[in-house]
Amino acid sequence: MIQVQNIVQSYGRDKEILKDVSLTVREHEITALIGANGAGKSTLLSVMTNLVPAQSGQVLLHGQDIRNIKSNELAKHIAFLKQSQQLAIRITVNDLVEFGRFPHCGGKLGDEDKRKVAEALDYLNMGDMAEKYLDKISGGQRQRAFIAMILAQDTPYIFLDEPLNNLDIRYSVEMMKNVQRLVSALGKTVIVVLHDINFASAYAHHIVAMRDGKIAKEGPPCEVVTAQVLDPVFEHKFHIIDHDGKQVSLYYDHDEASACKFCG
Amino acid sequence: MAENYAGAKQLWHKFQLFAASSGTSSRATYSRKRTVMVFVVLSVLLVAATALYLYSRTWARMQPIIQLGIPVSPDAFANILARAIPHLVAMVASAVVLAVVSLSFQTITQSRVLTPSMIGFDSVFVGTQTALVFIFGASHLLFANPLVNFFVSAGVMIVISFFMFGFILRSSRNNTVFLLMFGLVLSGIISSSTRYLQIIMNQSEFFQVQAATSVNINNISADLVWYVLPIIMAVVVVTLLRHRKFNVMSLGPQQAKGLGVAYERELNINLILIAVGMSVATALIGPLTFLGLLAVNAARELLKTYKHMPLFIASSMIATFALVAGQGVMELLRGAVPVTVIINLVGCTYIFYLILKENRV
Ligand SMILES: Nc1ncnc2c1ncn2[C@@H]1O[C@H](COP(=O)(O)OP(=O)(O)OP(=O)(O)O)[C@@H](O)[C@H]1O
Ligand SMILES: [Mg+2]
Repeated sequence: MIQVQNIVQSYGRDKEILKDVSLTVREHEITALIGANGAGKSTLLSVMTNLVPAQSGQVLLHGQDIRNIKSNELAKHIAFLKQSQQLAIRITVNDLVEFGRFPHCGGKLGDEDKRKVAEALDYLNMGDMAEKYLDKISGGQRQRAFIAMILAQDTPYIFLDEPLNNLDIRYSVEMMKNVQRLVSALGKTVIVVLHDINFASAYAHHIVAMRDGKIAKEGPPCEVVTAQVLDPVFEHKFHIIDHDGKQVSLYYDHDEASACKFCG
Repeated sequence: MAENYAGAKQLWHKFQLFAASSGTSSRATYSRKRTVMVFVVLSVLLVAATALYLYSRTWARMQPIIQLGIPVSPDAFANILARAIPHLVAMVASAVVLAVVSLSFQTITQSRVLTPSMIGFDSVFVGTQTALVFIFGASHLLFANPLVNFFVSAGVMIVISFFMFGFILRSSRNNTVFLLMFGLVLSGIISSSTRYLQIIMNQSEFFQVQAATSVNINNISADLVWYVLPIIMAVVVVTLLRHRKFNVMSLGPQQAKGLGVAYERELNINLILIAVGMSVATALIGPLTFLGLLAVNAARELLKTYKHMPLFIASSMIATFALVAGQGVMELLRGAVPVTVIINLVGCTYIFYLILKENRV
């Protein structure tokens, strides 16, 4: 159980980026975090994973303040895919995924660890790419390699900051299906930052909409994906339609969009 | 002969096992072969370098006597050899510890261009010695007793590295240029105040400071070697035992934290190890700015791996080879220039190349 209590956070002496954020993560569900650029989503995730310790307020994992949990112990409970990954070293996909086992084995891989690595690679269809160097594969493939590392870490809580970055439609859908399977088959709890509202609407159990360092609204997709909630969050005019019981948003400005110029 | 062969075969097998732990499958077979080759060649070179050095210190020195037809008694020979041994040990120990802390320093600073001595560690050592003599006098225990003196200078280096480098490493993203400039300014300030103190202190004290700080490979204090050997061994062993953590840390601070490395703590521990290692090596054989840099980068080029265990071992071997073989040659040439000068010359050129390459100029 992860509880976020009254987090106020800023970088240096700048203005507050998170302004009194409280949130209880729903277990064994997918929680989507949405909001405009700069709303504070990544910052919230960093605080929730203790990558950046909370300045005011606290984050509790099973009732214990995560600032007091040993890093190695925390890494067995929480895995975090950052929004952007740059590595200083040149390694293969397999090497990277093996790093995911570090919290469990301290870098000395046993049979169990090797099995988890192979599973994670398979899960993301990266098996035949395992020996490729990360700088020799496409952006989407690299993204999948990093997610495989997170999977190999095998934690009950998984935080993904824009995992659909660089993924084509097919892999985006596949990724979200995989995330769904993680929850349904493996009982994981996933918190995922998504920019595409439709993916949030279709795959998340719960959506948290952030605006300007605060939680503007949280609830099931049917309550959050409405023009009334989203318009102020993104400062954009949304057009929401109902499709097969899911709310789908059209992003373009409805008035300005014209029909295809060629077929009238 | 047959025994020898079996022994060699066993050794070969061990190498392969060692190398095998660094990978699987076809790419790995290639890199394993390469690793084995590198270590075999380096071992051979090391043996040759040791032989060369010992030759230069014994037979080569006795040549004039032998030519005069005076027989050299085994006792006299043993005597001469016994004088060369502490020097050899000092060189090996310093080279190893310099290589090891240079690699760990590069990993925590995320830079391939930096070494601890390049950002002012050497000048801190000289500065401490001068300040000690200036404040307490040359006969004071803090300066005169080599062990006490060592702990004091190591202590000062630890404090400085903690507050300065720790502060930088923690605050800004590890910026090579910034660290370099910082080191330049730091060593500038320390050396000029050192020089100032040396000018105003009395002459006999000045000469004693000079003697203690202008250590070089030709005047290694043989006594100090045995004092500091355990410290060097401790630094090397503790650093090497962390090799898997270094692997993770080379992914970068963020990734390493995410994977459960207590990054701040590691940073502190490593800064202490580096400060201790640097102060021992500097006290033992004097400032050697570029040896670590050369050895670590050569090891990287040869092994093409990110794994720290093979890198630690290979860079130690390379550093030792460079120092021992170089000094052997210099001895044969009658010590025209100490080998450290040559190493710094080559190192200087190499760092130019590295900086140009990193910045793609
Ligand atoms: N390391 C940092 N130092 C200073 N300010 C930062 C830092 N990281 C983020 N900020 C600021 O904090 C605010 C929130 O950033 P954050 O990355 O949390 O937003 P986000 O919701 O994840 O946005 P995006 O959708 O663009 O990823 C921004 O205004 C940004 O300028
Ligand atoms: Mg973000």
